Amino acid sequence: MDITFSPAEQQFRAECRDWLHDNVPDRRRPMDAADALAFDKAWQRRLFDAGWAGINWPTQYGGRGLSIVQQVIWLEEYAHANAPWIGANFVGVNHGGPTLILNASEAQKEYHLPRILKGEAIWCQGFSEPGAGSDLAGIRTRGRIEGNELVITGSKIWTSFAHVADWQELVLRTEDGSQRHRGLSWVICPMHAPGIEVRTIRKMSGQTEFAQVFYDDVRIPLDNVVGGLGNGWKVAMSTLSFERGTGFIADQVKQSEEIEELLERARQTGAIRDDGIAAQLAQLRAEVAALRAMTYRNISQVVRTGQPGAEASVIRLFTAELGQRLERMGLLLAGDDILDFRYGNDNLVADYLRGFAATIAGGTAQIQRDIIAERLLGLPKSR
Amino acid sequence: MDLTPNDEQESFLTATAEWCADNLPLDAARNRPAALWQQLEAMGWTGMTAPGMDLDHATEALVFAELGRHLAPIALLSTAVAARWAGQPGKTALALLDKDLTLGMVRVFDAPGAAHALGLVGGLAAITPLPSDLGGEPGLDLTAPLAHLDPAPPFTAVGGPDAALHLQLLAAAFAVGCADAARDMAADYAKLREQFERPIGWFQALKHICSDTAVRCAVARSQLCYAAGALDAGDPRAAFHIAAAKQLADQAALENARANVQVHGGIGMTDEAAPHLCLKRAHLLSFIAPARRDILLGEAA
Ligand SMILES: Cc1cc2nc3c(=O)[nH]c(=O)nc-3n(C[C@H](O)[C@H](O)[C@H](O)COP(=O)(O)OP(=O)(O)OC[C@H]3O[C@@H](n4cnc5c(N)ncnc54)[C@H](O)[C@@H]3O)c2cc1C
Repeated sequence: MDITFSPAEQQFRAECRDWLHDNVPDRRRPMDAADALAFDKAWQRRLFDAGWAGINWPTQYGGRGLSIVQQVIWLEEYAHANAPWIGANFVGVNHGGPTLILNASEAQKEYHLPRILKGEAIWCQGFSEPGAGSDLAGIRTRGRIEGNELVITGSKIWTSFAHVADWQELVLRTEDGSQRHRGLSWVICPMHAPGIEVRTIRKMSGQTEFAQVFYDDVRIPLDNVVGGLGNGWKVAMSTLSFERGTGFIADQVKQSEEIEELLERARQTGAIRDDGIAAQLAQLRAEVAALRAMTYRNISQVVRTGQPGAEASVIRLFTAELGQRLERMGLLLAGDDILDFRYGNDNLVADYLRGFAATIAGGTAQIQRDIIAERLLGLPKSR
Repeated sequence: MDLTPNDEQESFLTATAEWCADNLPLDAARNRPAALWQQLEAMGWTGMTAPGMDLDHATEALVFAELGRHLAPIALLSTAVAARWAGQPGKTALALLDKDLTLGMVRVFDAPGAAHALGLVGGLAAITPLPSDLGGEPGLDLTAPLAHLDPAPPFTAVGGPDAALHLQLLAAAFAVGCADAARDMAADYAKLREQFERPIGWFQALKHICSDTAVRCAVARSQLCYAAGALDAGDPRAAFHIAAAKQLADQAALENARANVQVHGGIGMTDEAAPHLCLKRAHLLSFIAPARRDILLGEAA
């Protein structure tokens, strides 16, 4: 065990820091959906051109081919520099791309991966349905095979970024009469195909960042299946492992910045003189430190064995709930100013309201606890 | 000693519940009809303890919990206190001084149609006339138009310390109702929504979340009843009991509202579904006459 970074890694960190110092935009990410999309794409392109996109992706698809340790160093510096949230590139960069790297054909990888890294192709995730949330195997959206095409009917819901996406990770039932995990396929669905309708849904924070998607006889090439027809469950699980695992590293390291900001605010306003608040901040600061240690431990495990450990599910749950505790502390320190919140504001109240997603999206806290109990502790399976 | 409602209180409660079910649906809380206030006055809820009405605080607290369960207009709190201690007729908006309790800026909730606003100034209930055209836009709580007065106008204290306790008691009652609403919404959804081919309430994890909402409601409601009785009886420890009621009611409202969002999953995060209305109301209530720690600790001068 060793907590020091190698000279090469330290050098890499310095490069990250210098570049971010000179390049992080002063302008905040805009609230308006169209402006935000343009902003996200331009920023991603800038990252790509400077060699900061896909740090640990293979070089033949536009990545840098570096290690996950360097990826983490980048994310730490990124958070430290207060660089913009990844926004609409979240799905493609954090789990769409990695799923393709692991499961897709050479042609699929060659076409899609560079476009994701350059911010040219926005992706969304079509897993959840009105009847299939926690119970993902309850998927009913169907893909009928006709010649060399799939004809898709059904609906997905809570699809983040559906209204701006070019492509979708779509999991659907391709085998008639199949049950549960069998007969599903993971396909690349073009969001501009005829027959797709996207209806945005407003969140309680006022933003319309997710949507319901309807498919009415949408025809896509059978070639868009990833990882083989009928293997959708397995491919979807790899997507979720990226989404729940490495996809949240950015959030994890951001929390180190957030606690320092809270502490600073508590000092400025004098709130820290309140023993109750001081005790909570002290606890949070310890937890954030431990989260970083957990992240490092998990990354070390990946480097050593090629896979995240079983503790990844623990980190995911802890990050989610710690994030919510930090957001609540932010509210506490803001006091009655939170009452002025209006739809359209992008501030700590919006963060708090959106933060409820941390224990819902990508598997609820209850489902995560089941996974920890059953996979980590070997308790009897309840389902 | 009897902490259960008597026959008269029961009939008040039933009448309130029935009227609210027909006229105050929770999911329409942000689009109340303009004529609603006149109806609330006609039902007598704006001045139950005003001179001449002479109902007790226990009855009033129970009725307000019922109104709070439907996210009734927030100005009912200030109006009831102004009616009781200042004999103020008509609608009185709710004023919240900024957190420093200096007279820097005042937030006024539910001003349309109100000639005055009432809030706590230095621990005492106090009232100020409002400009006639003061409107407001929804803030965090989407049910109450919010306007700002900056600088704050002068306020005149009304009543004695009991007027402030009255406001705290009624705000606690609203919070108890809000907690009840979140509890019931969560339990109803847990029975209805199916995943894994069974209602999600079948899963112990969800049962326990729902049970905890019920525990918080029972705790807060019991203390609310006791506190109301203490105010009626002129009990020397009324200030403590009302503070305790407010503390627990705020906690119940906030935690139940959060639990309710969680139980709803994705739909609980949406603007269209009702859970966030309770959540945002709970946050507003927590700033109305919050419980003071020194009073809870018995250290107040
Ligand atoms: C902000 C946000 C963004 C999202 N983005 C996407 C996206 O881009 N793509 C996508 O496909 N999906 C997305 N989702 C959907 C998300 O994955 C689902 O909301 C989630 O899986 C829960 O499903 P559900 O909403 O149907 O809730 P339900 O599954 O109906 O859950 C309701 C409640 O029941 C509980 N529950 C269910 N089953 C069990 C059980 N077995 N044991 C104990 N408790 C249980 C849950 O924990 C929850 O509290 C998003 C959700 C949110 C909130």
